[in-house]
Amino acid sequence: MQFMLNGKTVDIPKARGGDPLLWTLREHFLLTGPRFGCGGGICGACTVLIGGEAVRSCVTETLDVAGSQVTTLEGLKTDKTTPHPVQSAWIAERVPQCGYCQNGQVMTAVALLTREPNASDERIAEVMDTVLCRCGTQQRIRKAIRRARKAMRGDRS
Amino acid sequence: MTAMKRRRFLKIMGWSTAGLTVALGGCVGLRGLPVLPYRGDPSDEDAALWLSLRPEGYVEMVLPRAEIGQGITISMRQIVAEELGIGLDKVHAIMARTDRLPPVRATVGSDSIKDYGQPLARAAAALRESLLRRAVSLSGFGAKRLALSPTGVRVNGRRTIPFAELAVPPLLLAPEDVARARPRALDSSLKKRYVGRPLATDGIDAMVAGGAALFADDIQLPGMLHGAVIRPPRLGATLIDVDDKQCRSLVGYAGLVRSDGLVGLLASGRAALDRAREVLVTRWKGEPVGDQRIERAINVDAGLAIGALEHVEKEADIHPDLPFDIDLRLEVPMAAHASMEPRTAVARFHSSGPIRLELWTGSQDPSFVHRALSKRFDLPDDAVLVHNMRVGGGFGGKALCIVELEAAILAWHAGKPVKVQWTRAEEFQEGYHRPPSSHRIRARLTDDGGIDTWWHACRSGHSIFTSAALGPTLQFVTSFVADPGVTRGARPPYAVTRQRIEFEDVRLPVDTGPWRGLGAAANGWATETAIDALARQTGEDPLQFRRRAIAASRPRLRRVLDRLAAAANWPRRGTNNRGHGVACGIYKDMSYAATIAEVEPIKGGSYRVSRLWAAHDCGLLINPDRVRAQVEGNLIWGIGMALHETLEVADGRLNADQFGDYAIPAFSDVPEMEIVLVDEGDSPTGAGETVIICAAAAITNAITALTGQPVTRLPVEI
Repeated sequence: MQFMLNGKTVDIPKARGGDPLLWTLREHFLLTGPRFGCGGGICGACTVLIGGEAVRSCVTETLDVAGSQVTTLEGLKTDKTTPHPVQSAWIAERVPQCGYCQNGQVMTAVALLTREPNASDERIAEVMDTVLCRCGTQQRIRKAIRRARKAMRGDRS
Repeated sequence: MTAMKRRRFLKIMGWSTAGLTVALGGCVGLRGLPVLPYRGDPSDEDAALWLSLRPEGYVEMVLPRAEIGQGITISMRQIVAEELGIGLDKVHAIMARTDRLPPVRATVGSDSIKDYGQPLARAAAALRESLLRRAVSLSGFGAKRLALSPTGVRVNGRRTIPFAELAVPPLLLAPEDVARARPRALDSSLKKRYVGRPLATDGIDAMVAGGAALFADDIQLPGMLHGAVIRPPRLGATLIDVDDKQCRSLVGYAGLVRSDGLVGLLASGRAALDRAREVLVTRWKGEPVGDQRIERAINVDAGLAIGALEHVEKEADIHPDLPFDIDLRLEVPMAAHASMEPRTAVARFHSSGPIRLELWTGSQDPSFVHRALSKRFDLPDDAVLVHNMRVGGGFGGKALCIVELEAAILAWHAGKPVKVQWTRAEEFQEGYHRPPSSHRIRARLTDDGGIDTWWHACRSGHSIFTSAALGPTLQFVTSFVADPGVTRGARPPYAVTRQRIEFEDVRLPVDTGPWRGLGAAANGWATETAIDALARQTGEDPLQFRRRAIAASRPRLRRVLDRLAAAANWPRRGTNNRGHGVACGIYKDMSYAATIAEVEPIKGGSYRVSRLWAAHDCGLLINPDRVRAQVEGNLIWGIGMALHETLEVADGRLNADQFGDYAIPAFSDVPEMEIVLVDEGDSPTGAGETVIICAAAAITNAITALTGQPVTRLPVEI
């Protein structure tokens, strides 16, 4: 069984079909983007994109992504070099403190703004409420998402 | 060990001030002493080892602090680049590793810039002099014709000797040079290139794009196993037996470890480990611990009823039957650190070579981890190598040697490297928490609206003397000494004619320990709640009341309050159904903060914080944006502390196993926050824990502005 991982076709390792996708990505594919925060799909630190949708990899079985396109933090850059507008916005607003939750924040914001480019502030809050941060970067996340939303709308013209 | 050697040893370790020299007088020999964290200030010898010029042509700094999200890495790089006059890109920081870094104190207490900034600047200044001296000998020109440039040393304004050339043979810094150095980087009167710039945290690229090992969980070693310690289902329960029969048929199961009163499971991956945990059969015994036991233990009035509390910090004879203007009983519950990164460590034993035990962790105290492991495995210091990684949130919770010991014990028995990462349930059940405290504050006004009498009594669980670190001997020994964490922030910054501050720290059946701000968080809330009540008695505006009451010796607090009032346009009138509250305080006599909160009632009887303002003064700002971020974080912790966060014991367990059980502030809980940074060039101090001392009180005072009733118990119940 195979899936697309950050643009490359890869095999699902035999013994890992029933494992949470998070561990397959971290232990087998040696990716550091998605992280373990709670193991219950609550905090969002493990978020990846599957077919462009934000999905919590700690509660997703590896086999379930067979035939799908999986994107992790490492795969966001276009052509592997150009930062995604969300990544650029994150850097411009100097969002991270400890950085541990930021994968979930960035991936969730990317999915939201890609699928709902006109997302209102209320919709943004509704979605971002589901990604936890203990250091307190929420105000900067809000500013970064607004900045990215503006940039992504601009790019579409 | 003779009594004299013991006192000197403890003095070097910095423990003599805690009174432990007296208490430990009875211990026999050095081996009888438990492992204590290093507490000394950095010496010139230490600082001389932090910086080196690499042959690749950059300056390498071994970070003498832990990067816990406070931005100490970028700030220290800024100091070094400033002092050397070289490009920031030419200053690389590596996280602490114990073969390169002499022992340092834990990264706690917001003291990194205050206590390490100067020695670092002096080391950088000494390095600059060393570089110039070498350039003199290489170029044949005198120092006057040489200048440090972003890429090397410029000779005669023309050619540049690159750093790579200057680095060979290795440039060693002499402690005498560090001692003699006159740094400029922290001189507020000088114009600066890097110090004062609002830069993002170091490593931001990897945080938003991946591709680098940042945290301990990113360490993957060949043949590495994943381990977990079997946990009791209830506080205090002891294991009777364990049966792993069902585990043995699981793919990836790698066995059981029984050692040191610890039973652990091993597996080839986290998924296999989780599956093994689910089918492992265990039996336990022990009486469940009840919440009432904790409430009884910390009940301040019960303590006062039988006489003065154990430690009287400020003595004044105040009769309990005086007519007090306020008499408040205030309660603060246990709270969790709830860092996003669970405690994690990777341990590997080597069968040959000089390093016998190698360990990766994300710790606030890698020096203590090193010392504890060396002792536990009876290895010389230089045979144990601890690599510190970034810490995914510390807040006081990652300052011991718990998960590191677990990983090392499991690795020892497995004969393979072992990674242990706690589950979220373990973080709540096994971690130590902010102690609960109960406070009785009584105060009297003077005739002209000042404070005549102030009496603050408090009983609290332990903070610095956490039972998570102290075995029974040290718990007994420290029971005679006031826990300095508990009393932090108890002295009000106001002019008071007579004050009495008395404390008792109580050993509880659940592990409590240092949490952000330590006692200053609870004491700050209690103090500012009481001050607000006093102000209401006089009818004076609460900000003006504080302003007038602030002791004459505390002009910086008055200044920060004034700057806040201006920024928030206080008093704020005419806003529909919104309450406004103010609070202020001084953290560890070094940093000053004032906060204003605006709250509005929401459905269900609770409140939402709709706006926050804060003013903060920690002296010279190395990196104002990192300080601003700390103020933001502290304000948000204040929201959690005031409105949502509580941990209790129920059915013999902590009542949280997941984030759903313990409400930390989410995106929508965070309002617009306006922050004023005050920098009038005072010596740089810290920001990691300042604002928490007044954030929660500003919020509860805002609620009181609406209800007329003081909030006497945290969190505000729905």
